[in-house]
Amino acid sequence: MSTLRLSDLRAGDRAKVTRIEAEPSIRQRLQEMGLTRGESLTVEKMAPLGDPMELLVRSYHLSLRREEGACIFVEKEG
Amino acid sequence: MVTIALAGNPNCGKTSLFNALTGARQHVGNWPGVTVERRAGTFRFEKGEEGTVVDLPGTYSLSARSEDERIAASYLSEPEVDVIVNVVDATNLERNLYLSTQLLELKKPMILVLNMADEARAQGLELDLETMRTLIGGPVVTTVASTGEGLEALKAAVLEVAPGTSAPMMPHVNYGLDIEGQVAKLEQEIARDEKLATAMPPRRLALRLLEGAPDALELVERSHASKAIQARLESSLSFLDDHLGADAPTLLAEYRYGFARGLVKESVKRGETPALDRSSRMDRVLTHRFWGFPIFLAVMVAVYSLTFVVGAYPQDWIGSAFDWLQRIASSHLPEGELSSLLANGIIPGVGSVVVFLPVIMILMGCIAFLEDSGYMARAAFIMDRLMHKMGLHGKSFISLIMGMGCNAPAIQATRTIEAKSDRFITILVNPLISCSARLPVYILFAGAFFSPFHGALVIVGMHVLGFALAIIMGKVLRLTIFRQEQAPFVMELPPYRMPLLRTTVLHMWEKGGIFLKKAGTVIFAGATLIWFLSHYPGIGDKSLQAQYHLQQEQIKAKHLPEAEEKAALDDLDFARQGAVMNQSFAARFGKVVQPVFRPILDPEHKRPDAWKDGVALTAGFVAKEIVVGTLGVLHQAREESDTKGQLSPLQQSLHNDSGLTPLTALAFMIFTLIYTPCLGTVAIIRKETQSWGWTGFSVGYGLVLAWVLSWLVVVLGRVFGFA
Repeated sequence: MSTLRLSDLRAGDRAKVTRIEAEPSIRQRLQEMGLTRGESLTVEKMAPLGDPMELLVRSYHLSLRREEGACIFVEKEG
Repeated sequence: MVTIALAGNPNCGKTSLFNALTGARQHVGNWPGVTVERRAGTFRFEKGEEGTVVDLPGTYSLSARSEDERIAASYLSEPEVDVIVNVVDATNLERNLYLSTQLLELKKPMILVLNMADEARAQGLELDLETMRTLIGGPVVTTVASTGEGLEALKAAVLEVAPGTSAPMMPHVNYGLDIEGQVAKLEQEIARDEKLATAMPPRRLALRLLEGAPDALELVERSHASKAIQARLESSLSFLDDHLGADAPTLLAEYRYGFARGLVKESVKRGETPALDRSSRMDRVLTHRFWGFPIFLAVMVAVYSLTFVVGAYPQDWIGSAFDWLQRIASSHLPEGELSSLLANGIIPGVGSVVVFLPVIMILMGCIAFLEDSGYMARAAFIMDRLMHKMGLHGKSFISLIMGMGCNAPAIQATRTIEAKSDRFITILVNPLISCSARLPVYILFAGAFFSPFHGALVIVGMHVLGFALAIIMGKVLRLTIFRQEQAPFVMELPPYRMPLLRTTVLHMWEKGGIFLKKAGTVIFAGATLIWFLSHYPGIGDKSLQAQYHLQQEQIKAKHLPEAEEKAALDDLDFARQGAVMNQSFAARFGKVVQPVFRPILDPEHKRPDAWKDGVALTAGFVAKEIVVGTLGVLHQAREESDTKGQLSPLQQSLHNDSGLTPLTALAFMIFTLIYTPCLGTVAIIRKETQSWGWTGFSVGYGLVLAWVLSWLVVVLGRVFGFA
């Protein structure tokens, strides 16, 4: 199992979601926004103060706090 | 009459489409019991008959976790909704279609509207409507809300699927053999209870149960078949866990997105697309690591200046108009209680609220512009780190800054914050931000008791204190009352778009109207009450009146030059006001509450005038700048703005005769800063929270905090030798 978390990635990194570990309501919310298993995403940038982060997923821009990013386990791509 | 409901994601242009459909034939209210806006209106079919359209809050799903989602889900299930119009952003189909998969489960006639079709074309997307129609099982139309393109096609589609016509086949997402098997078994158990099966389509209920939705579980709880259904659900859940290696909600979300991606793959052809879309290019600058902040601050300064500097002009005009009205009322109406009520109660009271109307409309226009252009989400993105530390949301920042101008529109501006707890905390701390109406009070006291340099420091200090308190209270509220409700920050950064002028103007108009109606009525009542308290019983006192008339005659008998006579009459009138006020109910009230203020405003217990503070502060509840005028009448000394470096008569009186010291004056200023929002703001808090409880809380904690803090300042000040 991958131990890399989304919050560990840097701007420009590409990764695939492997699993989400969070309480059900937060996990469902993240999944509804398109962060399902196997889905690829790109970390676009960090906010000027380092948090939240901006992702490109399912060809739209999504921002998450690192707090939520830490619940999402990923596998780095390319 | 046909009723259609517009459902879709936030930022899909739903409201613009709604405006294009209805024009001015719309009404904005609230969904019962909640603070979510409800827009409803009428539109005309080609042949002239009318239809009703309801704009639902924008949601990403129908899971019914947030207030918005609950409203959308429950309203769509109402029998009154004939046709669901699912508006999707044609440039962002995949994410938008997730909601569509849930809408299909409602088993109602549905139309898929691909909005912003012009943008999709510009991006080189080719949309195959026929294929989509087959896959979604209902009409598909393209629209452009700004030009009205596609509206007639949409109306025709409504007639095509409206009840009474042959119902089209509704496809649904196929969740694969294992899940479908469990869904079928659950549906069988649900079918045992007919009531249950009519409350929600059995298939949707079965899926909601698998997702663990609280509202679905509750629905089942009340059924006579609850035991059997719950047993079935348990074994289904464990079966899926064992066989598919993931829990049901995860699997369902994956299948739904699978359906959405499949639909896009089948029906959308991508032409030449630019490597980097326009929004990303703009974001390279607007949310840049170094430039993001200064640009954001510049935007804030621009909005603030446009609102409170440019807005000051119409504000002045309205102010002069009310002054004129007041003069007319006092000079042309026969003297008496009614004219006093008008001239000294209602006109200035209502005037003090109405002057804020231009400011409110401009600010609401700016906020709507920022929101609709997509920049608001970026502002939240940039500020969230700081605001989150305070227990707030990135979007709270704008509301707090605008509170420096006027708290009422600043609180209205919290509408853009999605999560209820974030929004309520922002609303509750907003009155702590020192608004412009409190400035005259600071100027009065700072000028009277401090050197110009120290006075300026004190005034700046009041604003800093307001912000500091807002931050601390935000954190405190987050850690106590709202501890359970931390919402995840999962926010779309929508594409930048030029807002439609019509949408922005409509929004300004609407918010201005709400403010006038809500604040206006409350202020009207409040101003009347305060006038009554501060004029009775003296104003009806015949002997006082006779004496006044006698003195008036004496002055007129002297045949002074016109200007001198006028000044003498004004002074006489002012003295009479003082005499009336001195024996009024308000004065009696001031004497009753005097002990409460003693520790903070009269710690040595030797100020005979201390009761006047209580009266002024009570009157200031209507609008804080009224504190100054009331003190003037009570101390029989006017406040003048143009004093050429000298203290105004009121400042002299406060300094020399009131018994206040710099320390107690500071306490008075701090108390004015914090104690209770003004009446107009209270009305807006009530409107925005839809709760008297929270409104009362806001007033109550303000009073307590104000007292405690002023008291601390006085006690500590005395310990350190200030007096």
